[in-house]
Amino acid sequence: MSVCALQIGSSLVSSLIDLAQTAPAEPKAAFSMIAFANQLLNGVGIVGILLLTGLGLAITFGVMRIINLAHGEFIMLGAYVSFVLQSAFKMDLLLTIPFAFLFTALVGAVVELTIIRRLYGRPLETLLATWGLSIVMQGIVKLIFTAQLKYVKAPPYIRGNLTVFGSGEQAVEISYYRLFIVVVALLLLALTAFLLYKTSLGREVRAVTQSREMAKCLGVNTSLIDMATFAYGCGLAGIAGSVISSLKSVAPPMGQDYLVDAWMTVVAGGVDKLVGVLAGAALIGESKAAIAFLLDDPAARVIVLAALIILIRYRPEGLFTIQKRA
Amino acid sequence: MKSRITRLVSGGLTRRRFLQYSSLAVGSSVLAACTSGSQNAGAPPPTADGIKVGVLYSTTGTIAIVEKSLQDATFLAVEQINQGTGPWSGKKGIAGKNIDMVVVNPDSNWDLYNQMSKRLIDEDKVVCVLGCYTSASRKSVLPVFEEKDKLLYYPVYYEGNECSSNVFYTGAAPNQQITDSIPYCIKNFGPKGFFIGSDYIYPKESNRIAKAELEKGGGQVVGDEYAALGTTEFITIINKIKQAQPDFILSNLVGDSIPAFYKQLKDAGINASDVPIMAFPTTEEEIQAMGPEFAEGHYSSFNYFQSVDTPENKAFVEQFKAKFGGDRVTNGVMEAAYFQTFFMAQAMEKLAAEGKEFTTANIREATRGQVFKAPQGTVKIDPENYHTFLYSRIGKWNAEGQAEIVFSTQAAVKPIPWSQALYKGRICVHKTPDDRTDPTVETNKELPVEFLKI
Repeated sequence: MSVCALQIGSSLVSSLIDLAQTAPAEPKAAFSMIAFANQLLNGVGIVGILLLTGLGLAITFGVMRIINLAHGEFIMLGAYVSFVLQSAFKMDLLLTIPFAFLFTALVGAVVELTIIRRLYGRPLETLLATWGLSIVMQGIVKLIFTAQLKYVKAPPYIRGNLTVFGSGEQAVEISYYRLFIVVVALLLLALTAFLLYKTSLGREVRAVTQSREMAKCLGVNTSLIDMATFAYGCGLAGIAGSVISSLKSVAPPMGQDYLVDAWMTVVAGGVDKLVGVLAGAALIGESKAAIAFLLDDPAARVIVLAALIILIRYRPEGLFTIQKRA
Repeated sequence: MKSRITRLVSGGLTRRRFLQYSSLAVGSSVLAACTSGSQNAGAPPPTADGIKVGVLYSTTGTIAIVEKSLQDATFLAVEQINQGTGPWSGKKGIAGKNIDMVVVNPDSNWDLYNQMSKRLIDEDKVVCVLGCYTSASRKSVLPVFEEKDKLLYYPVYYEGNECSSNVFYTGAAPNQQITDSIPYCIKNFGPKGFFIGSDYIYPKESNRIAKAELEKGGGQVVGDEYAALGTTEFITIINKIKQAQPDFILSNLVGDSIPAFYKQLKDAGINASDVPIMAFPTTEEEIQAMGPEFAEGHYSSFNYFQSVDTPENKAFVEQFKAKFGGDRVTNGVMEAAYFQTFFMAQAMEKLAAEGKEFTTANIREATRGQVFKAPQGTVKIDPENYHTFLYSRIGKWNAEGQAEIVFSTQAAVKPIPWSQALYKGRICVHKTPDDRTDPTVETNKELPVEFLKI
């Protein structure tokens, strides 16, 4: 957690410096309701990405309490799986998503088996180990694929924009690809909630989380459950990487970009309930979009991060945590 | 349950333990930086009495995407010099001596550039250094080179307004990139420009100069937005572009922001035919990374494009692909990183022929005025201001990710380090021999465009 705070802190400082350097804004064009409505819709697009990248972390941190600083690298792995399949077999992006899930889940399982398993109950060592892991994973990917940016093609049928109302210059629109991201994120959230709360496997996962010893006594194969849960969380990160790969840039350090945002989302929403991720993503995404529209991007970053630090100070358990007995 | 993470942060962690862990964390990051620092993949092993030259490019971190290919181009040039191939055919090394590269990796961290340049100079005792990409990194190492009086060959187009006796600038000065492209935009697209850039020195200064040029030409800046380095989310800026309805976008985004911006712009329904992008840092390399379809119809202003039609360029592209793979592309910065190595080698050769030592002062004087048949055409180091005579070109990207050159000067343009839109008549003349005094000269006159006469 300290590293995470450190990262948030350092990016806050650099953003503050940026803010100080920003020249006084030139007179803004007249405030336009259409543009603002567009911006709120844009916020939905940002929320989609936050939700997607935060969801895997909600499993590995929220459910399992593993401080996984290599989360961003699992996102990167997913993106590279899509890239490899697309360039080698000319596969459609949508078809590569299951493979991205399977591959990152597999890597996640191996990581759990070899590293995480030995560090349960020692969060600081886990933090260092996963941090090291993130450097190693970036290095390996760079050795194989070089540092060059990679190109992942978007499927031709998710092109263009959905016009919500209006037309021409006055249209309020959102791109189909952003909508696609939102839909995928919501589906995955629903699926995860279903698995966690409606299946026996989910019940076992929650049992292991709440009391490992007791679950063991009752015949739950805890080590298998741990591995499966961690692998699932990593797999979700892989899906996120695959889905956003064609909208953003694919390069070895890309995961770092999402790591801080994913952590903010999970911490703000609260880690005990899945719905917290949705709330966290919505809160951060929309406020970022609104502030960025009124001021500018670097300023939005500063303000949202600062607000979040204050939030964590007064509600360390996040927004959506029900009070439980100690 | 008070969640475990809180306990961990507030109660479970004593000050002593925190210190232990944090020092461990710092230590491991230093270790990571050091191990990556000594990595020199692809560099030939050092020989006994070669000429030591520092190579300062990041191969990890945000900027690695660009700097790795600069390093590749430098490796190619050094290999050709040592083996006597390519432009160095018929010779071998510098009067029989090999160039030995000392390759360090500053991990895209501006402070590390400073430390590593000190290391190259003090510990490795290099003769001179080839390197740096961002202006931030150049500004970070500049005091080191000036204090220790060593030479840096810097291959990147930059914002100008600098004229050090310790740097040879082989990339474009503002008058070789900005001053031709802005009138072109006004004439072909319209007077309203929307300026965007990454949030550091080069894009801001470059946009400031471009703004002055645009206003001089009767145009108007309808938006000026910056995104943090490495940002890949442009939804807000694109919305502002839609609102401002510019005639063209001037992009000074760098690195992995570039593909993200072009993709998202098209995804948001803004096409190149409606609002074209004129970019400075967007090259063949980024176009390949985003997919040529997203760049088709947009423009870049550069001294060199892979499609430039000269025999030297054909050979360069061929040799580069042979060494690094057929799917690689070349771009203007790589070309500069390539030919500046030959400027350095020619200067050393001249000194060796005259029997002089490779001291900073000698190399400096020998490099001044060097001429080289580069892939972009014949280029020359200006003996007065240490910048380089370069061609000025504008390319329109086609469906194959290559540029169709729509504008080109007939010969290389004389560099003017100071932006004439901001500092009218200010030039830079280093004394011969250079005594490292202030080279700034105010002429207070409109400077004519001068071309290289061969």
